[in-house]
Amino acid sequence: MAPLSLYGVANTLVSTLLLHLAAVLPAPLSTLASNSGLITALSVLLFGAILLGASLLNTILLIWFERKMLGRFMDRRGAMHVGYAGLLQNFADGLKLFRKHTFKPRDADGLGFFSAPTAYMVTSIVMFGILPISTGWNSGSLPLSLLLALVVFSFAPLFIFLGAWSSANKYSLIGGMRSAAQMIAYEVPILLAVVAVILLSGSFDLSTIVAEQRNYWFWGPLFLALLVFVAGMLAEMERIPFDLPEAEAELVEGWNTEYGGMLFAFFMLADYARALVGSYLIVLLFLGGWTMPGWVPAPLTNFPLAGILWFQVKTYLVFGVFIWVRASLPRVRTDQLLRVGWMRMIPLALLSIVLAALVVLAKCLPVFGCVPSVGG
Amino acid sequence: MSEMWINMGPQHPMTHGLWNLRVKIDGEIVLDVDPEMGYLHRGIEKISEDRHYNEIITLMDRTCYVAGIAWEHLFILAAEQALHVEPPERALWIRMLSEEFQRVASHLMWYAAFVQDIGLMSPFLYGMRDRDLVLDLFQSYTGGRLTYEYMRVGGVRNDLPPGFAEQARKVCDWLLDRFVEYDRLCSGSDIFHRRCDDLGVVKAQDCIRLGITGPMLRSAGVPRDLRKDRPYAAYDRVDFDVATAETADVTGRYVVRMEELRQSVRIIRQALDWLDKNPGPVMADNVPRWMGAPYAPVGREGYLLKREYPKGVGFSAIEEPHGEALAYVVNEGGEHPYRVKLKSPVFVNLSAARHYLVGYRVADIPPIMGSVDICVGEVDR
Repeated sequence: MAPLSLYGVANTLVSTLLLHLAAVLPAPLSTLASNSGLITALSVLLFGAILLGASLLNTILLIWFERKMLGRFMDRRGAMHVGYAGLLQNFADGLKLFRKHTFKPRDADGLGFFSAPTAYMVTSIVMFGILPISTGWNSGSLPLSLLLALVVFSFAPLFIFLGAWSSANKYSLIGGMRSAAQMIAYEVPILLAVVAVILLSGSFDLSTIVAEQRNYWFWGPLFLALLVFVAGMLAEMERIPFDLPEAEAELVEGWNTEYGGMLFAFFMLADYARALVGSYLIVLLFLGGWTMPGWVPAPLTNFPLAGILWFQVKTYLVFGVFIWVRASLPRVRTDQLLRVGWMRMIPLALLSIVLAALVVLAKCLPVFGCVPSVGG
Repeated sequence: MSEMWINMGPQHPMTHGLWNLRVKIDGEIVLDVDPEMGYLHRGIEKISEDRHYNEIITLMDRTCYVAGIAWEHLFILAAEQALHVEPPERALWIRMLSEEFQRVASHLMWYAAFVQDIGLMSPFLYGMRDRDLVLDLFQSYTGGRLTYEYMRVGGVRNDLPPGFAEQARKVCDWLLDRFVEYDRLCSGSDIFHRRCDDLGVVKAQDCIRLGITGPMLRSAGVPRDLRKDRPYAAYDRVDFDVATAETADVTGRYVVRMEELRQSVRIIRQALDWLDKNPGPVMADNVPRWMGAPYAPVGREGYLLKREYPKGVGFSAIEEPHGEALAYVVNEGGEHPYRVKLKSPVFVNLSAARHYLVGYRVADIPPIMGSVDICVGEVDR
């Protein structure tokens, strides 16, 4: 039996349904229902819907996780009343925002103002289709999926700046400028850190990168790159200590000051989707993705969907560290952030590339008896 | 980006109240600032001219909503001088105890707001939680948590309840433990120093020239504290040190306030010991019952009686949590003061904003203004 895959499940569901339909429908419709092209198209749609739903649910769960964890760090309980331990609180909040009037400031530019949240949301959610969360749970094996993921991930400053500029608000504008400067500055060290991973794994394909980590996870040899990547991700996600684009003490709410109701909810959800995606990337690139080390007893890794489970556990642990950082660090200043980005992160990232190259070379030594995987 | 003016306020997270800081910026650099106050003006001084002394105490609580009892104390000291009333010894100590508790509560409130300004999330709630313990103590002997109406001309309204001292000592021990953690969370953090060192510097001679008082002045290395320099209540009979720092920046103000918290706890402990050993009356004998009793002016007819008070002028100066507060009360013989004048330390500290904001960055404004410890209630009065 082929390994369980999401597309396989969707395909089976759709073709079974259409087969039954073809049996009861009259002639012209029944040939249409058994058309293989239609089956494929519907399967892809169903696959996308399931992936989208699961990812958004996971994002909302992540928000709940942050609220609870942050609450504990602050000696309080977090959301408690809607659903068990406040699990449904975010749905209640979402409903409340949904009911709100969608408001546009008089001087704001309508096209930019309304398209920015949508575009921001879309680029964040598309990431879920690109990143594999277990074998069979992505949209197929893309040979350059890592590159694609990083490209889509780096669209964000454009839309943030679009939204900030068209809001016609000085706070938004300053926040948008900060955000763009920060994201572009940290894009570079992130990409350089990823180069180290690519060197070591010899592939741009995230599934291959995870597969390459079956013997050892990359955070060991690439510890420096992991540090750079995590710091860069904190900046990309705009979380404390790098949340200065929305530094509420001076900029009210930064680039989304003028957004309210559902538009704000879009930004909020997309922010957390990006946080989830960032944690996914860290797990995929450095923490072995859905693989587990050999010493973990087989019953814990052998059951169906074990890969997804372990992947999520790792993701939430990574995000837990982000929450921990958020609970205990103050916010840095823009110039300090940029100075750290350009003058510390980039040299560190370059150093990590050199280290990765050395590791690859060391693997060629006859002592280890391995063949280099570069280019393979 | 070209130069532009932005309004930080009257409703803005940085302001901690209702005032407006107009800032002229070029990119992220602050070129000019213009503080605008007056949004919260309630005319407390003018209303006081039409109120009985007991009723003015209520107004004083509202003057500064985080240090109500300190302002009661300020007014009562001036009023007693104007009315020639001498409070009993025990009342002085209870007032001192109350003021120090208020200082702890006010500084904890400042701590909570200040760390929020630099982006620290958790200590905000730690500060508020520990302030609650102090408010619980206030509630146990004044009945109020924010506005107390506790002090009276000639003493205080009621004595401390039984068991208060043990509870207060427990809170003191707990607080001293917590201050260590506060320090570790803030001054132990590298980012904190990056954000706060050499920020909003006002040197000692500038402070004196501008009339800046309180922790801001002491952070510039001037050991001026009215509790030492012009002792009132029983401050000349307790041991404590005046906290100072040399750096004159935001970190310096932080250090001074954290040390003041410790010194306040030290004073509180001495006051509790003294109060344990020296029971006695808490109201002076020579004031009428309706002046100090818990049930102040009785009935409508109380107002109809023509009361004669001695003529007099009273002046008082106390070291309020935010700085030096002064009060001047003139009594022309009626049952209301002829004139009440209050001087708010924060008004002066805030008016000097141009001297410690220009040249820094927009992101520096919240920590600098946070370190001033603004209470708009007393600024506008």
